[in-house]
Amino acid sequence: MSSFQNGGAPPRDLDDDSDIEEEALAANYREQVQYEGMEETPMSMAQQTDDIQSRLAAAAQPLDFSAPLDVKFASYDNYCSLFHFILNSDGPVDLEPPSYYWAWDVIDEFIYQFNSFCSYRNRIARQGNNEEEIAILREAPNTWGCYSVLNVLYSLIQRSQINEQLAAMKRNEEPMAVAGDYGSKSLYRMLGYFSIIGLLRVHCLLGDFSLALKTLDDIELNKKAMFARVMAAHFTTYYYVGFSYMMMRRYADAIRMFSHILIYVSRTKNVQKSAQYDSISKKNDQMYALIAICVAFHPTRLDDTIHTALREKYGDQLLKLQRGGPESLPIFEELFRSACPKFISPTPPDFDNPELNVDPLEHHLAIFMDEVKTNMWSPTVKSYLRLYTTMDLKKLAGFLEVEPEKLRGWLLVNKQRGRQIRWTDNGLLDGEVVGSGDLDYAMQGVSGLDSHLRSQGWPQVGGLVSTKLGTNILDDDFFRDGKGAFAW
Amino acid sequence: MGVPFDYAPDRPEHIDAILNGLDRYNPETTAVFQEYVVQQCDQKFYDCYANLALLKLYQFNPHLTKDETITNILVKALTVFPSPDFSLALHLLPPHILTPLSSSSALPAAGDAPLSEAVQKLNVLNNLLAQASYAAFWSTLDSDDLYADLIADVAGFEELIRIRIALTISQSVREIERPVLESWLGMQGDAFNKFVNGVCGWEIGGTVVKVPLNKENEAKGTIVRENVKMEQFSRVIRRAYEQPA
Repeated sequence: MSSFQNGGAPPRDLDDDSDIEEEALAANYREQVQYEGMEETPMSMAQQTDDIQSRLAAAAQPLDFSAPLDVKFASYDNYCSLFHFILNSDGPVDLEPPSYYWAWDVIDEFIYQFNSFCSYRNRIARQGNNEEEIAILREAPNTWGCYSVLNVLYSLIQRSQINEQLAAMKRNEEPMAVAGDYGSKSLYRMLGYFSIIGLLRVHCLLGDFSLALKTLDDIELNKKAMFARVMAAHFTTYYYVGFSYMMMRRYADAIRMFSHILIYVSRTKNVQKSAQYDSISKKNDQMYALIAICVAFHPTRLDDTIHTALREKYGDQLLKLQRGGPESLPIFEELFRSACPKFISPTPPDFDNPELNVDPLEHHLAIFMDEVKTNMWSPTVKSYLRLYTTMDLKKLAGFLEVEPEKLRGWLLVNKQRGRQIRWTDNGLLDGEVVGSGDLDYAMQGVSGLDSHLRSQGWPQVGGLVSTKLGTNILDDDFFRDGKGAFAW
Repeated sequence: MGVPFDYAPDRPEHIDAILNGLDRYNPETTAVFQEYVVQQCDQKFYDCYANLALLKLYQFNPHLTKDETITNILVKALTVFPSPDFSLALHLLPPHILTPLSSSSALPAAGDAPLSEAVQKLNVLNNLLAQASYAAFWSTLDSDDLYADLIADVAGFEELIRIRIALTISQSVREIERPVLESWLGMQGDAFNKFVNGVCGWEIGGTVVKVPLNKENEAKGTIVRENVKMEQFSRVIRRAYEQPA
């Protein structure tokens, strides 16, 4: 409960990402886990004395996935009246949230229900055989509508002045000075803060990946961030940021995000309650699948912990992805399907034309697969170029059994895709174009090709190579070879 | 230096204000954004972030959708390939837009069959550009009158694409045969000479065109060296003790 009162802690140095901090966080986590067990008694007392407390608690309760439609509708109404009460009472309501993670649970559950309702509605329309439910859904196009969901999230953000508070903290100023009547109360501050994470998620579910990242402008991604106090929030944030980066083809940034959180999970898993760990273990596997995809696009040396786990979980798939070519396509598709968020379409489906209600997943997958196909020859090209410093293009085309014109295209594509935008500072959408750096070449002469291997940057005595981006350990930039063959 | 994705140098203040406020969800701003797209088409500038905001408004309010604006946004996105802009725009369109036409055109009630046809045609162009199949791009563009209609609103479309192609070539090429370059740029004769010499500043020598050296096409071996202090490795060393496995 106290974690948010600590929110005013000075923002830490970007580079200061040490073990000490991770340990402190793990310790903090342990405390919280213990605390969680103890608080049941006061909560049940609160329920007896105060109706609103029980409503607060109910809002954070997961709704059964198979709940019938009327329960889903009722749940929506409950959320509406609760948020209306919180947002539109005469001044800020004087309530203490039931627990330090309550605000996260409420926003999480609210979005989860929105998500599953939209998916369900779309499925009913697509199948077109449940007349009764179709009739009910047709009558209520605004229930769980995207405008009302966004309205709640944005209102909570605005009421709490949370963006202003975060911006002040970034400038090393006192957030309370800009918090206002609402934002100075922990209930509003917490709801506002987690609504930002909620927005990230909703935008991503709707396929708006750049806006998803933009939403986090005022949040600094580090282990001191408020979301890091609630494991599920920490986890969710990195999953959606990583996924959005991947869809913007910023694979290095995506890998950085996934690696960060997966390392954190692997180091804290012993202190997490087993039930909680189960619920994140699925997302955990999904992120490994996404890392496999990103590494195939952007060969890089991973942290050892990640690399080992990745090989255990997706060893065969990774090998095929890294080999590229048409054989890799089904693997990309399989991993994407299993690891992407449950995309939704924001508007009510077209109940009169069931065929038009394509699952949004298929749509996003199709777009993603086009990019995969564009890149699928890069591994082949690279594997040959690594062997030569100068190479006749027609000869290489002969090896590969393709037309020289096709090969020229592959070479151009590989070179273009080697250049990527990478985050260095400021907002998540910011970044600089960086070459992938492991292999460089240019075409010269009549149908000729001059390829040149760039040095891998071997450690020299007294001059070790280092990475500037290392949020985690010395991973990314060390030796960018997908197979990690250059370990020393 | 990099430029943030949401930054556009030519963006007017009133657009910026909408994008940074809740008005970006206000259906009434659709008209403002649409007008802005027209400006981008006429005046050869581009603002991806604002265009995505308009597509989002369409996503939330399908009845406001203007097919022509959508295709214009996509055509503009083509002119900045190989950026992900085209794909990012596609992600915001209705999910059925890319399903093969045979199934959706069979439905008389599917009012936007022409839109999905146009989007799929543009997607073909986008994939050809992304795959650096430039010769095929130009021949495809010429192959169908629908393409001429689609690009008609975007001033200087072919020139913008040509410059973009030239840019990607300059990153990978030092010398190239003239016929290959002609097919990639989709032009011959005087026009070709003028573009290659005048706009690109490349040298035409007989059947070979030389691209001057630049940072990207040097293909120089580089040794990355950086001095780091021992302390920076303390984590690695500690880790070695922590994780004996």
